[in-house]
Amino acid sequence: MSSMSKKVSTRNLKFTPFLTLFWKEIRRFMKVSVQTVVTPAINSALYLIIFGVSLGASIDTGYEVSYLAFLISGLVMMSCLNNSFQNTASSIVSGKFSGDLEDLKVVPLGLQQIVWAMSLGAITRGLMVSTVNLIVGQSFYYYYHSEFFPIHSPLLLCFFLLIGALVYAKLGMFVAFLAKSFDQMSAVTAFILQPLSFLGGVFFSLNNLSPFWQKVSLYNPVLYFINGVRHATLGASDVSLNSAVVVSLVSLVVSHLLVLFVLTRSHFKRW
Amino acid sequence: MFTPLKIKNLTKCYGDFKAVDDVSFELKQGEIFGLLGPNGAGKTTLISCLVTLEKPNEGLIQICEKELSKAADVKKAKSDLGYVPQEVINHGYFTTREILKFYSGYLGILKNDDRIDYLLERLSLYEHRNKKVKQLSGGMKRRLMIAKSLVHSPKLLLLDEPTAGVDIELRNSLWDFVKELKKEKTTILLTTHYLEEAEELCDRIGVIDKGKLLKIDETSKLISELTFRKMHIKLKDSPKNLKESDYLKSVNDKDIVIEFPSQLTVGQVMTSVGIDLNNVVDLQLKEGSLEDAFLKILNHNAMSIGKSSNKNTNQNLTGAL
Repeated sequence: MSSMSKKVSTRNLKFTPFLTLFWKEIRRFMKVSVQTVVTPAINSALYLIIFGVSLGASIDTGYEVSYLAFLISGLVMMSCLNNSFQNTASSIVSGKFSGDLEDLKVVPLGLQQIVWAMSLGAITRGLMVSTVNLIVGQSFYYYYHSEFFPIHSPLLLCFFLLIGALVYAKLGMFVAFLAKSFDQMSAVTAFILQPLSFLGGVFFSLNNLSPFWQKVSLYNPVLYFINGVRHATLGASDVSLNSAVVVSLVSLVVSHLLVLFVLTRSHFKRW
Repeated sequence: MFTPLKIKNLTKCYGDFKAVDDVSFELKQGEIFGLLGPNGAGKTTLISCLVTLEKPNEGLIQICEKELSKAADVKKAKSDLGYVPQEVINHGYFTTREILKFYSGYLGILKNDDRIDYLLERLSLYEHRNKKVKQLSGGMKRRLMIAKSLVHSPKLLLLDEPTAGVDIELRNSLWDFVKELKKEKTTILLTTHYLEEAEELCDRIGVIDKGKLLKIDETSKLISELTFRKMHIKLKDSPKNLKESDYLKSVNDKDIVIEFPSQLTVGQVMTSVGIDLNNVVDLQLKEGSLEDAFLKILNHNAMSIGKSSNKNTNQNLTGAL
């Protein structure tokens, strides 16, 4: 049998490479769904049990809602951000390690296509995990309050989750492309991103902080993502809705420019 | 005439070091071109420039008549290109078949099952199609790399040491496959350290060292121009009328060794040296090889570099004095 007899069928260089990379990113995290989806859901359940239920009764959020409701919205956003970041970052880092990343440079994929396909894959994971967390949160909330956790504006919730996931997906790419080793990658996660997430108001309200730390926190973009979601669910937040929307959109543009900047300058070769 | 690959004045530097230095050549459709050179000669850097893993500092690259530096052409150029890197890629959790499907998708082909099945069968991977890549042996991974590079029937195939660390059986089957691809008019550029195989396979050879393309020619021409045929003759009686000749390398009573250019026939040389054919008991003839030609080119280059650096040193000394 000659290979000429097995000629390839028609080709579409405009969309097929992009859609393939997007699909591959989804398949990649679904192959290890226990690690990528189930584990974050268990983590959130633990946070809800320890902070939301056990300690929550003694914490005053300054809102007319229980601490459990306050925490659920923060956890939903935090899991969305972390998982979006982890998806692109681990995809690139493991690709650098295995040599898989070279493929993306060799095939007819443009830089914008790579950025968007990987980002969409990361958003899918971020939204999937945050949805699971929302369901876990709903279950807890229903158990303790005999009613469902309120979602004030589903549209706004989708908006902030999408933008937050996109920003973190792009940051994941930015950091992973810059990193020259696993150590550098973990250092950025441990020393910059995790503190930003935890200090972004997932577990506390700005009202609980001293005026100085309140001012410092206002420079943390994560605060606006989390309060955006809080506004969408509870109808109230530490920052105004407008400022949350503006900071989110500015962060999106900045993160996109950062990732394009680093992609045009860095190589795709293996470590 | 269709030119699958055109490289003109290609230069790639890492700081002050020129990994590829002003290289120019073209490939013809359906030919197998061997790019040979010692380790660190610049072969992989050159190939990396062709597949856009490295950005050249200067020069022009055209793949299937599409210029790589032009944004409008680059995707089309890449879609006609197949590439097998030197090191195998470990594709983690995906199966052999999934990898080929993804790679087909990257190259714009949504449904490619027939071609994938053909390649899996042809490269003896069909029974391993549902195994995760990390479960495959080194040789299987190497074959998967080749299958990947061929999912889209590329017009130009770049093989960067595809048989490095591969056993002889697999090597032979891979080269058979390469010959088959040549019949289908696929143009192939390969690098290898197995010079005997390059000699058998390649229509043309380019020798590169220290980033410079030192010589490029048809394999047979390269061998005939640069190597000698070596003849070992055993005589019945000690020769009486031997003539002085540059071809005569050693005479040890009844054993004679002669080296002569490939253009001359055995008869011509025997006559010119003065050996009577009736006196010959046995004769062994060894043809010049690509390895001989390759070493000759490298030695010549090393000598000319040595000469020029001595000259520079002398000039510097003179200047200092």
